[in-house]
Amino acid sequence: MITTVSLKDTLLDSAREVFETMVFMALEGLEDDTTSLGEPTLLGSITFKGHLEGCLGVCCDEACAKTIAANMLGITSPEELTENDVSDAMGEIANMVMGAVKARIQNDVGTVEVSIPSVVQGRELKNSLGEGAVQVKIRVNIEEQYRGEFSLQYRESKQQ
Amino acid sequence: MGKSLMIVDDSATMRKIIMRTVRMSGLEFERTEEAGSGVEALEKLKTGPVDVVLCDINMPEMNGTEMVKQARQLPTCASTKIIMVSTESAEDLIKQVMADGADGYITKPFTPEKFQEKLTPLLN
Repeated sequence: MITTVSLKDTLLDSAREVFETMVFMALEGLEDDTTSLGEPTLLGSITFKGHLEGCLGVCCDEACAKTIAANMLGITSPEELTENDVSDAMGEIANMVMGAVKARIQNDVGTVEVSIPSVVQGRELKNSLGEGAVQVKIRVNIEEQYRGEFSLQYRESKQQ
Repeated sequence: MGKSLMIVDDSATMRKIIMRTVRMSGLEFERTEEAGSGVEALEKLKTGPVDVVLCDINMPEMNGTEMVKQARQLPTCASTKIIMVSTESAEDLIKQVMADGADGYITKPFTPEKFQEKLTPLLN
């Protein structure tokens, strides 16, 4: 049995694991933060299906996404990055955080099959599963320099 | 003679990250190449042997598990060590892909130490 409270912790722990291991940046959870993430933002998303169906999203502004990509690739000057590098990096973050979440919940929820990640850039981006979906969202402080948001929306599958 | 390495992942960024992590692990390869899909990897593997293949699982066109099965049918891959590198961590999947012919499994996120631990025994 999973709850939104335990999923918030799971999402934050998973994001921290990925950022500490692959991005070399520290994450700190922010309580009650509703301020804008800045514009434009990049949203990395990955969908899943199985006993649970839904999507996981990772959102931050462009400057943050460039820093994440540079750190992942070991590049000291973000000017060397291509748009594709930044987009790919955000997709991989979504992919790895989803993998880390899945590893933590799969004993409780059963089979979950994950898609290929996708990334979009724009303003006020958000994923929506529509009515009846549960949404868990956490805001984070990244290396005390940027803010980001991780979200998980899901519903129990009718095909169980 | 130096060893050769192929990295198979549909994400160009992840291929660069894996290459960087392999270098950070202290492991040295004389020749390295990349493939963006299972299909491209098989085409390259048909042309000659590679010592180590690091292969993603969740890829479009042909996933990593299918790539391993088909690679094991190739005469050029008889002694190739194939290590899966994936966010997937379900025990059943890992058992299945090992049964299909993979020699090891590394879950993402990974560290240079993890690559060293998994690859060193296979290279000696």
